[in-house]
Amino acid sequence: MSFTGVGVGLRRPHLEAVAALSASPVPFWEFAPENVIGQGGRKARLTREILQRDPVLTHGLSLSIGGPDDWDPEQIRDLKAFLRELEAPWHSEHLCWTSLGGATTHELLPVPFTKEGVARCVARSRELQDRLELPFLLENISWYAELGEPEMDERAFLTEVLEGADVGWLLDINNLYVNSVNHGFDAKAWLTGMPLHRVAQMHIAGHDWFEEDRLIIDTHGAPVIDPVVELMQWVLPRIQEATGKAVPVLLERDNAIPELEELLAERARLQVAYDAALADSEVAG
Amino acid sequence: MSRLDNLQRSMFDLMVAPDAAPFLADPQGWGQARGLETADQGALAARATRLAVYRDLVQFALTDPVEDCFPITQALLEAEGAWKGCLAAFLDSRTVQSPYYRDVAPAFLAWLVDSGWGAERWPYLLPLAHWEHLELELLRHPDGPPAEGLTPEPAPDATLVAEVTLRNLTYPCHVQEAGVEDPIPPDGPSHLLAWRDREGSFRSLELSPTASALLARWMAGDPLGPAAEALGVDRGEALRLGRDLYAKGALAGFRSA
Repeated sequence: MSFTGVGVGLRRPHLEAVAALSASPVPFWEFAPENVIGQGGRKARLTREILQRDPVLTHGLSLSIGGPDDWDPEQIRDLKAFLRELEAPWHSEHLCWTSLGGATTHELLPVPFTKEGVARCVARSRELQDRLELPFLLENISWYAELGEPEMDERAFLTEVLEGADVGWLLDINNLYVNSVNHGFDAKAWLTGMPLHRVAQMHIAGHDWFEEDRLIIDTHGAPVIDPVVELMQWVLPRIQEATGKAVPVLLERDNAIPELEELLAERARLQVAYDAALADSEVAG
Repeated sequence: MSRLDNLQRSMFDLMVAPDAAPFLADPQGWGQARGLETADQGALAARATRLAVYRDLVQFALTDPVEDCFPITQALLEAEGAWKGCLAAFLDSRTVQSPYYRDVAPAFLAWLVDSGWGAERWPYLLPLAHWEHLELELLRHPDGPPAEGLTPEPAPDATLVAEVTLRNLTYPCHVQEAGVEDPIPPDGPSHLLAWRDREGSFRSLELSPTASALLARWMAGDPLGPAAEALGVDRGEALRLGRDLYAKGALAGFRSA
């Protein structure tokens, strides 16, 4: 199965409505395996029905790639079995750390931009890809502050991890936009020269401005704004040129989740932008 | 400890610290006390405000599911001005260890049990929190294997097969009568049966002490009729209870002798 177009993150408030449909209303869903592994009951049953009926990509939240803690073998075993059952084409995670000393924060914390940080992320990504026996993608996160004195910038850090681990890139275009505003750089310049040939999937989402902190927080709690859509359109043909594919884009919404119809309308708007970007590219080509 | 480990440990300390003020007052000293290199101490100082944003995000991530699951416990402790202190002690304990976000609320309950926090001052706190958590626990409980060879009709010599989520509970207070408006449960023992029904909804039923004892025998595998007789319960009345519980989805069925 090939994944393309604009999909939507499958969320609990929509399970009843989605399961009641006779067919998928989207090209694909994205789903966090952590939200169903080991669970029973109605929500889990509905989720499994949808996952069996519709095309699905998976995206993890808790593997703490940049953290020091060993993985629980049971967690990896269950994840691997789940991905295999789903026939997932790949699995993605965030380039961050979440846990330390056995305790977890359930937040995506920034890995120091250091050689040691690169080495840990490379080693653990390689190990995970081997253990899951599946292509593995890493997502660039929104980060609000560097942890410690950096030895390199984010571009170099991300590139060294992706290349060193030989894994794919889940390019989160909203995270890039958020970082570009919070840290004051040009997103398109940032993308130029990056390993776009490794991009296998993209994320897009909304965010919120917090005046008190003078900061955009990556809340996934608002509609996608036009500059982020425009950035997606700018990079899509460049990725297609680098990979030979129209990579799938996933709309994320995790807070202030609207009714399904509203979310599907936003997806449709993004699909038009997606198609236009790639059509323009074909004309130009 | 490597530089990377040290940086992450320092950040983790900040994430779960009861108060960000000591860090914000002297971020360099915070790093120095944790053995950070001089350059990293300076980096903490230069980005202290933004690093503190992470603390807010972590604290929200770890307390939001607790507040969702325990609104009555929250109301009880807020009325006493103790809720924030309770959450701070919980976070400081670092007991959220599961990679699954759904396990944050159970971790809070387990922490209340293990630490005994507030138990002396509010003896009804733990029963109340347990009852509040039960709905979430049962709604997400793993499904049991399909039961085979069962009948929906109870017979005196049959045994009961409960739904995998059925819980026969006795609390020292009437937890089911507490609410956000009036969060203190009335004193006195309360016998409650709780389960997830066949549609996946949470159900509960208040039982008499005798009915609770009968259920306990049935769930331990005693045949329906003899268990009723042992407790002095009319056999017909007992079978009606079995039939009613099956109809409500608390039981998978009955296994003939």
